[in-house]
Amino acid sequence: MNTPTNHEPGDLRYAEYVLGVLDAAERTVLEHEAASDPYTAAELVRWQRHLMPLAEEIAPQTPSPAVWARIQARIGMMPSMPHRPARESRGGWWNNLALWRSFTFGAAAIAVACLVVLGVWPRGPLTPSSAPTVTYMASALIQPDGRVGWTATMDVQHARMIIVPAAPQSLTTDHAPELWLIPAGQKPIAVGMIAPHAATTIVLPPALIARLGTTATLAVSIEPPGGSPTGQPTGPVVAQGSIAAAS
Amino acid sequence: MTPAGTDERNALARLLQRSGEHDQRAFASLYARTSPKLYGVCLRMLRERGEAEDALQNVYINVWRRADSYDAARASAMTWLITLTRNQCIDRLRQHREAPVDTDVLETLVDPAPEPDASSEAGEQHQRLERCLQTLSPEQQSAVRAAFFTGATYNELAEHRSVPLATMKSWIRRSLIRLRNCLES
Repeated sequence: MNTPTNHEPGDLRYAEYVLGVLDAAERTVLEHEAASDPYTAAELVRWQRHLMPLAEEIAPQTPSPAVWARIQARIGMMPSMPHRPARESRGGWWNNLALWRSFTFGAAAIAVACLVVLGVWPRGPLTPSSAPTVTYMASALIQPDGRVGWTATMDVQHARMIIVPAAPQSLTTDHAPELWLIPAGQKPIAVGMIAPHAATTIVLPPALIARLGTTATLAVSIEPPGGSPTGQPTGPVVAQGSIAAAS
Repeated sequence: MTPAGTDERNALARLLQRSGEHDQRAFASLYARTSPKLYGVCLRMLRERGEAEDALQNVYINVWRRADSYDAARASAMTWLITLTRNQCIDRLRQHREAPVDTDVLETLVDPAPEPDASSEAGEQHQRLERCLQTLSPEQQSAVRAAFFTGATYNELAEHRSVPLATMKSWIRRSLIRLRNCLES
């Protein structure tokens, strides 16, 4: 075997670290070493350059938009985001945003984060940035006590909705929140089960999108974990709100 | 290195540096351009969407906090980001994988790889690495790929291939030495 002489025999640890074959304890040792020893740090960088091109073989996959919403919430990212028509758009959307702000600061921040997700996301590599007619809708679902329970943001063009609880909802394990769309004067239509503690992304089927509009409302009822057995709300409605158009 | 590859490389490096200065627009743009690749890495290593999304979230939170330590002279932005992502996934695997590695995970390694774009800089680097990998024996090559794509330890790899630990270590160490000589020649 043709081992170079300018490194000690143990120097393969750097390569092994970067390849990923070391166990947790060995990794920790090397990480400590790299923090204080420039030679170790440089060797790790060298092996990163050598081996990372293998990742070219991994096909890109699209993560759920909720990931970006969670990242923004975690780093405290606020609304003034790139190329957002939200600020310029008049009417229901902006009023609605102000409304959310006046309720819970957290809820507003998350709702804005959702808007930004829906706005920024399709502007990425997936969609030509020339699409001028993106339509968003939003709703703040108010609880009987007057506070915001959930905020929902709908991206009509991409047929999806993000619904975020303003605060974690405390429910026993035999109860779960279910979201309904109620077109004016009609029966509720089940949209889907939503998470009580986290953002839920829902893909909207065309039949549902056709019924979205400013005359419809959204509502959350408490149902058995698998959803209402009847196809209509069976438990108490814990939050509801009208839908506002964003653009 | 093609001009297009250089432009892309520089653009990502700038976005990463500006993210290090907590420029939110740059960070949003960096996320839009790099998250599909990094999520692909997470999914490949963790095999489960929820885990992979949690890992991806942590990666970008780390990027936001640590991008100021990125040094464009040392590594491309993509290399830096993929390293951060793999480390995040490997840490998770080491924490959660008390039980023996799921053999299904290792069996799926022979997925046909997408053809990397050979005209890009990353594509060129990949081709070079691929040529060096071709000089290894089939067992060595497959052990190196298994290690890279799954983040499995020597022990897990040896168990899965039903070879003694010393054999697996020897395959991989010889491979690494050969790859280094080939890539640095």
